[in-house]
Amino acid sequence: MPPPPPPAWVVALNSPMPSLSKNASRIPDPPGYTKTKQRTQTSSSSAPAKPVETDALKLKKAWEIALAPSKQIPMNAIMMYMSGNSLQIFSIMMVFMLFKGPIQGLINTNAAFTKFEAESIRGKLVGVKAVYVLMQLALLALGIWKVNGMGLLPTTRSDWLAWESERQPLERAYFAFT
Amino acid sequence: MRLQAALFLLAACVPSATAVFKDEVDHVDFHHALLGIPSVDTTFFLRPSASSSASLLYTLSEKSILGAVNPRDGSIVWRQNITRSSLSAAQQQQQQQQQGFLRGSDESNTVVSAVGADVSSWSAVDGKLVWENRFAGETVADLEVLEFEDASHPATVKDTIALFAGAVGTVRRFDGGSGDVKWEFKDQSGDLPFQVLSSPAEIYYISLHSVPSKGYKIKITSLDPLTGKPGQQYVLSSENEVAGPESVLFVGANNASPLVVWADKLHKTLKVNVIGSKQVHTITIDNESGEEIRSITVHASRKLNSLPHFLVQYETESSSWADVYHVDLKASTVSKAYHLPRTQERSVFATSNKDANVYFTRMSESEAAVVSSASHGILGRWSLQSPSTERPLHAVAEVVVKGDSVALRSAVVTESGDWHLIQNGQSGWTRYEALAGALAATWVEADDQEELAHELEVEGHQSLLGAYFHRVKRHVRDLQYLPDWLRELPSRVITSVFSDEVTNLDSFGINMPVIVATENGRVYALDTGKHGAVAWSVKAAEGQGTWDVRTIVTQPGSATVYVEDGSSVTLNTTSGAILSRTAPTTKTKSFAVVKQDASSPVVIGVKEDGTPLDAINGAGFLVTLGDDGRVRGWTAADNKYPVWEFAPPEGQRIVRATARPAHDPVASIGKVLGDRSVLYKYLNPNLALVTAVSGSTASFYLLDAISGQLLHASTQRGVDTTQPIPSVISENWFAYSFYGDAVQEGDARGYQLVVAELYESPTPNDRGPLGSASNYSSLFGAEPLPAPHVISQAFVIPEPISHMTVTQTRQGITTRQLLCTLPASNSLIGIPRPVLDPRRPVGRDATALEAEEGLFKYHPFLEFDGKWYISHARDVAGLSTVLSRPTLLESTSLVFAFGGDIFASRVNPSQAFDILGKGFSKLQLVLTVVALAVGVVILAPMVRRKQINAVWKASS
Repeated sequence: MPPPPPPAWVVALNSPMPSLSKNASRIPDPPGYTKTKQRTQTSSSSAPAKPVETDALKLKKAWEIALAPSKQIPMNAIMMYMSGNSLQIFSIMMVFMLFKGPIQGLINTNAAFTKFEAESIRGKLVGVKAVYVLMQLALLALGIWKVNGMGLLPTTRSDWLAWESERQPLERAYFAFT
Repeated sequence: MRLQAALFLLAACVPSATAVFKDEVDHVDFHHALLGIPSVDTTFFLRPSASSSASLLYTLSEKSILGAVNPRDGSIVWRQNITRSSLSAAQQQQQQQQQGFLRGSDESNTVVSAVGADVSSWSAVDGKLVWENRFAGETVADLEVLEFEDASHPATVKDTIALFAGAVGTVRRFDGGSGDVKWEFKDQSGDLPFQVLSSPAEIYYISLHSVPSKGYKIKITSLDPLTGKPGQQYVLSSENEVAGPESVLFVGANNASPLVVWADKLHKTLKVNVIGSKQVHTITIDNESGEEIRSITVHASRKLNSLPHFLVQYETESSSWADVYHVDLKASTVSKAYHLPRTQERSVFATSNKDANVYFTRMSESEAAVVSSASHGILGRWSLQSPSTERPLHAVAEVVVKGDSVALRSAVVTESGDWHLIQNGQSGWTRYEALAGALAATWVEADDQEELAHELEVEGHQSLLGAYFHRVKRHVRDLQYLPDWLRELPSRVITSVFSDEVTNLDSFGINMPVIVATENGRVYALDTGKHGAVAWSVKAAEGQGTWDVRTIVTQPGSATVYVEDGSSVTLNTTSGAILSRTAPTTKTKSFAVVKQDASSPVVIGVKEDGTPLDAINGAGFLVTLGDDGRVRGWTAADNKYPVWEFAPPEGQRIVRATARPAHDPVASIGKVLGDRSVLYKYLNPNLALVTAVSGSTASFYLLDAISGQLLHASTQRGVDTTQPIPSVISENWFAYSFYGDAVQEGDARGYQLVVAELYESPTPNDRGPLGSASNYSSLFGAEPLPAPHVISQAFVIPEPISHMTVTQTRQGITTRQLLCTLPASNSLIGIPRPVLDPRRPVGRDATALEAEEGLFKYHPFLEFDGKWYISHARDVAGLSTVLSRPTLLESTSLVFAFGGDIFASRVNPSQAFDILGKGFSKLQLVLTVVALAVGVVILAPMVRRKQINAVWKASS
């Protein structure tokens, strides 16, 4: 049995809207209504751009992303400097966030640049990625500086004291004074 | 290690000074305020003032402590140590040997005591000193209170007469109010001054006139009470019987008919002279037992107006009897009134009076009986509720007569040194006065943990699988205790919820019994869980005599007492049964406890010259201090030749040597400075601190006990070397205290406490020449032991310290306290170590980094903070030794002090960080949990319904 003809609303949905008549197009749109037609026009107009331009654009965008962390460095540095070296919930949370950002950034390095991935600019993108990683490392270094300032890094002798053992004498004396 | 570090951090965080709070007194500690064994003749019942109705029990003990005891409960009303506190220890010892006198009168408000050259009068109610008088170079031979009225004083003030024996015998009359001498009579005849006594009209001075190669004649001189002028004098020819002062049995009773009683050497006849008449009555002693009479004692009332009756008690080895005599004043005759039958028990008699009537109380081992002096009828007889197994030595009694019935209250001193109060045969209180002569003490070793420790050790040495099976088997075996455990569970839960203490600490080794050995040859076990109640007491010394205990060594289940003569006694710690004895060998000076491995320790005696008695196999070195003032080191295997010998420089005398405690764990081997660098501690378990004095200097030598190498020496000038110089060494520091006089201008004068710390190197992060070597040898090292870097600081303290110890905890994580006995204020104090840090900055405030370390500005005067007093407000007198012992709780250290009083407590130098505090309420916690559970049960269906409704409403 042949399938039943599709309902009218399906046909209407699938077929493009009929172009408006001249008169009808003259009628102003009701307030608040924006034509979707223009958007499709712009997207269709950019599509035929040249591949060289796209590459340059992509690279530019990639550079922006790579350098974004560097903008955070001064702000974070000031925040860390201001928050003091005492072990408090706020400073600990801030330090935690400071570590979380760069580490996540480093893990997602490739993901951050996937949309700019193209055969033509692969070589250039490696450099961009390297700068990105460097920037994240700089943020991490800031975190480590802060943690060190808080005394959480086992850099001093006292941190290893518990692993040092008492020097044992080979001889043992028993006292009979009392 | 990490756990240790964490705990250390925890311990370091809490404030180091913790006080004993008022509600903890008598809860964490106990105190036996002791007098010493009451002496015969200086113990009596007395009304403290003429107006009071109840009487107190006064005594002057063998320790020369004068005290008043409440007969109701045996508590001390007041006490005074009448050996002069300013005297040195040796002089005090000498004074204690002298006979003491104590007299009181019912009509007066004071009691008068005399010991040595001092006569003093004390308020009977509160023990305050009324007056004292001192006659250097003389000693008091007798003391009496004059009973008769004196127009110049109110009736409550009584004059005192005292007989002094010096170059010549002197009788002095002291004014009862001021203690001034009213008159004195000097006996220039060269006789031996013997006694003094008073009758209503006259004072009699009794002296012993020596007859060459025979004995003594008793000479009686009457003195005028007002002027002291000698009057009538007569001599009794007693030279055949009286060989010395001890031969005269009785002189006295200040009553109407004073007597002199003596007996011949064979105890066949008794001679009695009623003073005033020259006639000597001879009484034949009727000895039906056939045994040799060991002692004859005469009892008579001291009261002025009492009947002239007296009792003579005869005692043989196993039996005793007595005769009562009446004196006819007019005819001056003595007649036997009646006889108290012989019993096969040892008994003691006490005299008491009611108005003029005199009552004699007979206290035997099994019963108490009261008779009137007038007739032989027994007025009251009670069999004792708890018959004593100990021989009674003397007793005092108070008799109340109501119509035909009498009530009796008596206080009996037994040979064991116990003082019992017996009321009509019922046992009242018992005071264990022999504990005042404690010589050595130690905690009992728990034996229940031993098995588990052994099992765990076995597991430790097995393979992983083997150890696992071993443990499973052990746990299966432990299941047999499950029913018992389950049965106890409800009661345990209930007690833990409602008990005063939040956690039951018994299983943490808090309430360990203490074994105490006393001078009179006895060993006591004190139950620290029950406020120091005596669990058992046994006579452990052989024979009658006293012993000089050197040390007590405990093993699980048993304790061994080592005596100066080389003998030892091993006792069961739970029952007190004597397990074994060893015979005396050589006189020993000290004992070394050698604990080479997990096996039981070997105890080696050390002779007085410092030579070990035995040589033992195995490694180890012994360090001894000889009488010749030299410290010697020996290998354990050779007791012939010392390895090294330390003699102080010429003229110096070693007075003390001390070493680190056997249990002295160190939690951290370095001190973390503010900049996080480490100053390494100089830790050597073989350190000995030797104190030597000469003239007015005291030198302190720190020795390595293996090689004898001198590691550090310091000398203090201007030291009063007659006063005690206590010293202590622990961990990496030592401390000593002395009285220092100013040598140069600007020097401190006063009692000083010096504390010194030893470090590997003056620079932080440097472990010294030995570096990170894991072990070292004092003998075979390439170079001699490096000397420590010593930092010390001195403090001026407000009062002298007579003895010092350091608190011990299980792992040494808790900060230590320096336990000091303060004889001037009769207290025990624990000075926190952080206060005594010699690195405290001098002359400036601490920098931020130093403050981080806990350092604060040095102040030369160290005031004893009220929070440091472990004894709280108590009067803890005469402490000579303080012991400390770790418990299973790291925060808690046990303290036991003895010597005079007995005091025990537990201290938390870094607060009780591993015990729930009193603010924690288990009941509240349980109720909260229950309330929350009930809330959940009620609310859960409601919430569920609401949620379902909400879903339906949203979709509709």
